Amino acid sequence: MTKALSLINDKRVRDWLYQIVVVVLLVGLTIFFVRNASENMVKAGIASGFGFLWRTSGIEVPFVLTGYTQADNILGLFWVGVANTMLVTVIAIILATALGFVVGIARLSSHWLLSTIAGAYIEFVRNIPLLFFVLFWYFGVIAALPAPRQSIGLFGVAFLNNRGLTIPLPDAMGNLRIAGLIILASVLAYAAFHVWARKRQERTGLHAPTLRVGLALLLAVPVLALTWAVLATRWDVPVLRGFNYRGGFAVIPEFVALLAALVTYTAGFIAEIVRGGIQSVSHGQTEAGSALGLRSGQILRLVTIPQALRVMIPPLTNQYLNVLKNSSFGAAIAYPDLVSLFMGSALNNTGQAIEIIAMTLAVYLVIGLAVSAIMNWYNARIALVTR
Amino acid sequence: MSGLASPRSASSLSLWRERLFGTPFTAFVTVVLALAIAWVAVPLIRWALIDASWRGTTRADCTAGGACWVFIRARFGQFMYGLYPADQRWRVDIAGIAFVLGVAGVVFAPQRLKLKLGVAMLVLLPPLGIWLLSGGFGLRHVETRDWGGLMLTLFISVYASLIAIPLGILFALGRQSGLRVIRLISVIFIEFWRGVPIIAVIFLASLLLPLIMPGGIDIDRLARAVIGLGFVIAAYMAEAVRGGLQALPKGQREAATALGLTYWKATGLIVLPQALRISLPAMTNEFIALIKNTTLVLVVSILDLLGIAQASLADPNWVGMNMEAYAFSGAIYWLICFALSRWSRSLEKRRRL
Repeated sequence: MTKALSLINDKRVRDWLYQIVVVVLLVGLTIFFVRNASENMVKAGIASGFGFLWRTSGIEVPFVLTGYTQADNILGLFWVGVANTMLVTVIAIILATALGFVVGIARLSSHWLLSTIAGAYIEFVRNIPLLFFVLFWYFGVIAALPAPRQSIGLFGVAFLNNRGLTIPLPDAMGNLRIAGLIILASVLAYAAFHVWARKRQERTGLHAPTLRVGLALLLAVPVLALTWAVLATRWDVPVLRGFNYRGGFAVIPEFVALLAALVTYTAGFIAEIVRGGIQSVSHGQTEAGSALGLRSGQILRLVTIPQALRVMIPPLTNQYLNVLKNSSFGAAIAYPDLVSLFMGSALNNTGQAIEIIAMTLAVYLVIGLAVSAIMNWYNARIALVTR
Repeated sequence: MSGLASPRSASSLSLWRERLFGTPFTAFVTVVLALAIAWVAVPLIRWALIDASWRGTTRADCTAGGACWVFIRARFGQFMYGLYPADQRWRVDIAGIAFVLGVAGVVFAPQRLKLKLGVAMLVLLPPLGIWLLSGGFGLRHVETRDWGGLMLTLFISVYASLIAIPLGILFALGRQSGLRVIRLISVIFIEFWRGVPIIAVIFLASLLLPLIMPGGIDIDRLARAVIGLGFVIAAYMAEAVRGGLQALPKGQREAATALGLTYWKATGLIVLPQALRISLPAMTNEFIALIKNTTLVLVVSILDLLGIAQASLADPNWVGMNMEAYAFSGAIYWLICFALSRWSRSLEKRRRL
């Protein structure tokens, strides 16, 4: 009797008891739900399992990057969705980062009017739902663009109208591939040079012209290579035939609207991150840099930016993952992304709710976990080393 | 003794001249920006105010060429209440007033009554609101299908956060807990919901909730959306609360334990009151995000404010009212979210002082 009582009063035993109770409850709840689901599915006549993935899909998609056709199987449709989601996410991240940096730095400008405009933009964008922007760009702006015959020409090669954006397409990829390889090689060469320069500096204290070599390898070589490749390639430039453009590559209006919405919205959040990051570097750091005899460019490059980046990287990563998740807002205007194609069309056609939902969520979770893992590694590498 | 003349306070005019035209470059930037603003703002103001039509009842009354605010006037009831029957809308008003009075009562109550009053409101108000809105017990029944507009936006935000805040606090505590299994469960819950798109969760809730319930039990369409949103926001709330828990010195809980308080007493009396005060700004930001994400119920054809605005564009009697509908609904979202974010910022400032 006393022994049982003392066991109950032992903290370790009680902790285990609590945890066992919670686990038993959770398992019980799961069994309850799974049993209900299987009963309901039997009633509805749905067979569970992933066999449906090899059925012919029969779903037409207006925007395909993978060579998928209606006759392909549902797994093909899944990959179309993944590709479309990734495409809009990657382009939106690049553009939103650029716009966000510009707005964030403008916010810190000593020019009163400029920083006020940037501040107004940030406050405007952050306090309105993203879905508002998606609908606004799609039904308010793109739909109000002129018809193809009165398209807005961009340098005479790309055309923007209410059916989307038509851009030129290269006839052959050969030259562009060569340019890509050249750029890759020069980036690798710069990385090698950087490592060598740092080692030499640690050994001998001699500076290497990192900036000039960097400009040459990271800017001049890529620009030259791309210019050559663009000029040497024959382009299929869209031409107006009848009521629409022929040739080139037609970017659907849904893509343009979703991209514009993601960029304008996310840029407001990135601008605040940039501002916070730059402000977090105390003025004493800049002063100490100039006391050591560094020039203002060197202070920015060697003192301010590395420290600001350390503060900015974690929230920026978060925003990038948000862009990935927010790309699913395309479902509201029927942009064929993963959610709208797979969780929408494929699910309606097959009724395999559980399998399809699990696959869709898994894509987002896997990408999210991978990015978090990379970022944790990076963060640990650049973290402040203190004694 | 003749002292130095006191420094002349710069007149505001010269201050502005210095700010905007101090150097040639500053002046140049000012001129360019002013031109850009004029290029955008002049047509906008002409459209929204000068050339706008304000009076009338039909589209034919919009003759001035600018914005047709007659459309908003004619549709105002729908934007606020959706398809809620016009003769029953007083119920929504009463529910709203009761909610505002309840919150104000708790905020302005004397300190010793605050907790009791708060708990009472938390127990009384949610069922009262549901009774008023959906009916029964003497009131006419109104299907959730007919709810809509701003009222639905606020309804979903408030009821989803009634799920999200308690759940979020529990999982935040679980993530800090010393019990390994509890911590693991909490981490999995939080990271799962934070990792998936909210739109997918709304689809998921509307498809899976009926599937996992015993046959015959039907969950209302709106309730599914509220539950789905509540779970996602709970994960974000948990992270907001965790910030507060981590900011609290460890000594607080240790002192409470040394005084002989149990875990739940220490948590309820010592840890949470302080941690929640620290987390309040972050939690407010999550609530703002919730209001913005409420718009996503559009994908399961529930029409909140933005949904009603979008649906009103299909009215053949009012063709081409896109800009008016977006401007009006956008302005309401902006006002609500901006006010809340200002409040959250002032809370944070007060704490820092």
